Amino acid sequence: MTRLKGYGGKVLRVDLTHRTYRAEELDPSLAKAFIGGRGLNAYRLYWEVPPGVDPLGPENKLMIATGPLVGFPHGLGSRLNVTSRSPLTGLLGDSNAGTHFSEEMKFAGYDQIIIEGRSERPVYLYITESGVEFMDAEGLWGFTVSQTHEAIRHELGDQRVQVGAVGPAAENLVKFAGVFFNVYRAAGRTGMGTVLASKNVKAIAVRGDGYIEAENVDELIKVIDEMLRRIYENPQYWPRRIMGTSRVLMAGQRLGFLPGRHFQDPVVDYAYDVSGERLAREYNVKVRACSAGCALPCARFFMIKRGPLAGLMGEGPEYEPLGGFTVRVGNRDLDRALKIILKVADYGMDAITTSEVIAWLMELRQRGEITDEEAGVKLEWGNPDTIEELVDMIAYRRGIGKVLAEGVKRASEMLNRGKDIAFHVKGLEMIQADPRALKGYGLGFAVASRGADHLRSEPFVEVEDDPELGKKMFGEPEAAMRLGVKGKGKLINYFEDLNAIVDSFESCKNTAENMLILDFDMAARAYTAITGIHVTESEMREAGMRIVNIERAYLVREGVRRSHDRLPKRFLEEPLRSGPAKGHVIELDVMLDEYYDVRGWTRDGVPRRSTLLRLGLKEVAMDLEARGIKLED
Amino acid sequence: MESKGIHVVVDPSKCVGCNICELWCSYEHEGVFSRSLSRISVITYERLGFDYPVVCQQCEPAPCVELCPTGALSKGKLGEVNLDKGKCIGCRVCSEVCPYGAARMEPREARYPLICDLCGGEPMCVARCPTNALSLSKVTNVKVKPRNAAEAFAISELRKLADEWGVDVDEA
Ligand code: SF4
Ligand code: SF4
Ligand code: SF4
Repeated sequence: MTRLKGYGGKVLRVDLTHRTYRAEELDPSLAKAFIGGRGLNAYRLYWEVPPGVDPLGPENKLMIATGPLVGFPHGLGSRLNVTSRSPLTGLLGDSNAGTHFSEEMKFAGYDQIIIEGRSERPVYLYITESGVEFMDAEGLWGFTVSQTHEAIRHELGDQRVQVGAVGPAAENLVKFAGVFFNVYRAAGRTGMGTVLASKNVKAIAVRGDGYIEAENVDELIKVIDEMLRRIYENPQYWPRRIMGTSRVLMAGQRLGFLPGRHFQDPVVDYAYDVSGERLAREYNVKVRACSAGCALPCARFFMIKRGPLAGLMGEGPEYEPLGGFTVRVGNRDLDRALKIILKVADYGMDAITTSEVIAWLMELRQRGEITDEEAGVKLEWGNPDTIEELVDMIAYRRGIGKVLAEGVKRASEMLNRGKDIAFHVKGLEMIQADPRALKGYGLGFAVASRGADHLRSEPFVEVEDDPELGKKMFGEPEAAMRLGVKGKGKLINYFEDLNAIVDSFESCKNTAENMLILDFDMAARAYTAITGIHVTESEMREAGMRIVNIERAYLVREGVRRSHDRLPKRFLEEPLRSGPAKGHVIELDVMLDEYYDVRGWTRDGVPRRSTLLRLGLKEVAMDLEARGIKLED
Repeated sequence: MESKGIHVVVDPSKCVGCNICELWCSYEHEGVFSRSLSRISVITYERLGFDYPVVCQQCEPAPCVELCPTGALSKGKLGEVNLDKGKCIGCRVCSEVCPYGAARMEPREARYPLICDLCGGEPMCVARCPTNALSLSKVTNVKVKPRNAAEAFAISELRKLADEWGVDVDEA
């Protein structure tokens, strides 16, 4: 097999139990069908991690994959997906990060790294073109994320070594610990760091001196220049460059979707005080790109310049941690929020889940279902000392932290309290947006293959509130109106397919998807130019559907059906109390029916046999049927 | 070893660490995309939010050119360092004497050094940097006449910034 142009060409399998590894050739037909990154990982997860596997046992596998655009100077950033069976949800775990690790592993020749087994002692892996070294990490155990980065670069004597590390939270088996790259860039969701730590791996370091080529480089440069032009002409260019995702906080205030005090207040009276606008004016000192090939650098570097925390600095924050440690927990103190955000990242925890378990506990207290004595802290909305203390307690599993470290679903089961306000879907906690004010997003949370999360669909066009656009794109005016219901199934189908492609190219959603730079047509042209394999626009869309469907098949095999595609009761039954979307609930069932119909799934959420066959997933259909899951035609 | 000729100047406050300069430099000279085959290399310190692309300063006289035992390195019309790959024996002297660490050996077989040749006067890295962190300076020499102490102070303070643009500011 010749190396497919634009790919590293190899899949690296590391067996921790036996301390061996081998590099396999990447099968070009697989690369065409699943593109790379998230798609390749979903394929492996389906076939290599069958039902019943303990997420924290040695039979679970963890995959890291990069995509075909990574390593070219395209302007869309370079990312990777970390995929495994999730210890948080027990289902599909998958998280994406923008990091230099991604291009470095490709230059080392690997499109995918598969980590299997369990090491007897703590190790970190040092991966280069010549293979894998199992490095002793006994002395690193207990280190935070940033300490681990520094120690490894010091030991290897190379500042360009890219590191993905876990912090103490993962070591303590907090179920929502992430893998942290470039110190600040998190593959935060679904507990991928916990899986790595359970295998006794403290970090993965990679360094690559290789290169990549394109089959038709002149055409690729044309595509790149067109994408760059689209980026620079886009009106979002400057706001994004100045504020990155932190700009969403004020948008949330304007549209009334903030998660104030655990989704009780969709607008708050202190939004500006904790906003991206304020960060830009008073805190940000520099702009950074999270990864190679980014022409819209949006990772800000901040410094607190006044007050007791003066001198504290770091990268970010993104909207999710920002919203999580301010409005979701009712905290108006931006300086303290920044300190907490850095701490959560240095412990190596998912900021979204951490903010949910804390907010959930505070609402329990508000309802009088827990006392301060029982919790061991003074539970008071917005108290930064409480929040910080709870973060410490979770990371080190102290006191009530032991319960919260299990995630909100299990915590509510363990305490047998507050199940109705445990805001998760399929075990993954909801992000910082109230779906009653963003109905397409709400549908997206309900059906997303990894649980309540916007990044599978990110249907940003509904925020435009432009009926003409909705008609043009989906034949339904309401599709592009955030409080509309009709057409949302089509909307989510389209953007789920697109994001599957963006995630598999491993490009950045801020540019590629949110600014519609890498649409199906552009993706097809880029893929053809890079690999020389001719792919059309509709084949590209089909690849997106294939990825969505194999992920769904994984869930269906685990027993997931329509009854799991649910949002928590508050969003379905309690009308929003204030803000522009006051009075709204989310009409989930109508939207679900439309979504399934367009997907070619039954109304129970199971892919039809004909759908799977049309997408070339015949083996998957056979596997499901062999396991007694009846497929309809 | 001060730079007196044209060279690529860096404004570190603008560099975001996107490696785009490296990837294009590698393509321009080697026909493939790589970080390691670039003549410019970005050093990153995440905890300071800091990125700095290290590149040849086109010293005059240049220690690498002076000390190269085979005459493989020479100065071109723009004052740029040119490499004659045929004459290079991969002895590493240039890379060892470069005061800026800007002359790395080609990483795979270390057959020759990667030294910036200014792309013949039209630097790819400068053209492609998305944040204008790079520019190509002639050493422009500006003469100014401060009229009072305040102006003299302002000029002396601004000299550093001007220097980053490759501009020499002299008092007339
Ligand atoms: S292209 Fe410009 S911003 Fe990017 S790393 Fe190079 S000098 Fe810095
Ligand atoms: S390679 Fe180094 S020594 Fe030679 S001219 Fe460039 S900066 Fe000076
Ligand atoms: S001027 Fe040309 S050779 Fe020099 S660093 Fe830039 S791209 Fe490379």
